[in-house]
Amino acid sequence: MSESFDEAMDTLEREADEPERYCEAFLSVFPIEGAAVSTIGQVLGSETLAASDPIAARLDELQFDLGEGPCWDAMRSAYPVLVPIIRSTGPSRWPAFTESVVRDGVSSVFAFPLAVGPLRFGAVDLYSAEPTSLSDEQTEQAGVMAEVVSRHVLRRALTSIGVDEDEAVSAYSRRLVHQASGVVLAQIDVSADDARLVIQGQAFASSRPMMDVAQDILDGRLRFTRVGSRIEVAE
Amino acid sequence: MNDITQQRLLETFVKLADTLIDDYDVVDLLQFLVDTCRDVLDTTAAGILLADARGDLEVVASTSEASRLVEMMQLSAEEGPCIDSFRSGQRVSVPDIETSKDEWSQFRGSALAQGFRSMDALPLRLRDATIGTLNLLRSAPGAAPEESISAAQAFADVATIGILHERTLRESAILSEQLQAALNSRIIIEQAKGVVSHTRGVSIDEAFTLMREYARSHSMGLSIVAARLVDRSLRL
Repeated sequence: MSESFDEAMDTLEREADEPERYCEAFLSVFPIEGAAVSTIGQVLGSETLAASDPIAARLDELQFDLGEGPCWDAMRSAYPVLVPIIRSTGPSRWPAFTESVVRDGVSSVFAFPLAVGPLRFGAVDLYSAEPTSLSDEQTEQAGVMAEVVSRHVLRRALTSIGVDEDEAVSAYSRRLVHQASGVVLAQIDVSADDARLVIQGQAFASSRPMMDVAQDILDGRLRFTRVGSRIEVAE
Repeated sequence: MNDITQQRLLETFVKLADTLIDDYDVVDLLQFLVDTCRDVLDTTAAGILLADARGDLEVVASTSEASRLVEMMQLSAEEGPCIDSFRSGQRVSVPDIETSKDEWSQFRGSALAQGFRSMDALPLRLRDATIGTLNLLRSAPGAAPEESISAAQAFADVATIGILHERTLRESAILSEQLQAALNSRIIIEQAKGVVSHTRGVSIDEAFTLMREYARSHSMGLSIVAARLVDRSLRL
């Protein structure tokens, strides 16, 4: 199991620009039949980036349309939502969604949040027709894989809308962004690259220049904290 | 130039020669050079700027990390003596900043506000190419003594050699890689300042001082200390 997990992580790191491969990575490690990766909500809009089969795609489309489901809950809470038997726990939490997926023959659904820093913008959705469950170790592994996917998705989204942090920014403000990256990496214990992405994401989500966000971080007006596996931002 | 100054200049060049034949940290070397300009030459503040791949000049070493000083040098790299020296490959002397060119108004305002009245920008040259500049700022107006400028130009040349290493002078691909390496070390130093500023609850400037003290007392290069702070294998 751990060997296939390592391989799947390698695939994910390598195939940053091939969203279709994200799903394969999850399918190769976990006892599931299908996977989908979607952005949901206001930050990046609702869109299915990849789905391994039509049912996986439909699961996400349903949740967009209904505004309810495990993906929404995973995204809002920043925690995995594990539903090994949707028939039993689903009806009270997500009545419309459950009715529809049970009709499609889905038994188990697992959703993992897509988040970078305090920014939450989507979910990885895994499903199985046969009832199945994920062990604690598998849950943790899927969470780690979803973190890698999160960074790819956010980077690609920022690139596609033309946010290039180096353009039209002076050398002096780049220096401030590097200093702020250092503060953030110490605050939430992530790599320098991830800290930079957190600042970039924060700037994008609040429609402000990266330099302004960096200055707020340096002045202590904006702080990132880690609460368990979640990262929160305080102003 | 008095005898004491001459003696100190001699000591400086001996130390530089020692540094260059050994393994050395290029950021430490540049820092040593700007500090020497301040301590030995008739200079209030000094800084070295290098051009990145796009030709934008960035501060890689300065006598103070105070953000106002760094910002002023960056302004000088946009419209000021620094960019003129970089473009022409020549020394640019500004004996009175107050009466300097109209186009330099942003630089002028920032420099005067910090009490600087005169400046020299010297090119970091390699044959036909200029890779950056050494900037000398003084709180008194007037031209700098010619011996000071000659010594400073020699420092600038040593900085160029230190950045590029003599053996790779002929290969332009490696040249730009080494320039980029020097600039990247600076990125990691900025990140490390942020780390220390957070972990020790001090300002960015104080963080830099703590890093330098640690590097000195442990005989480590500043770049190494910075890299270890950023990958969290070292805590200050």
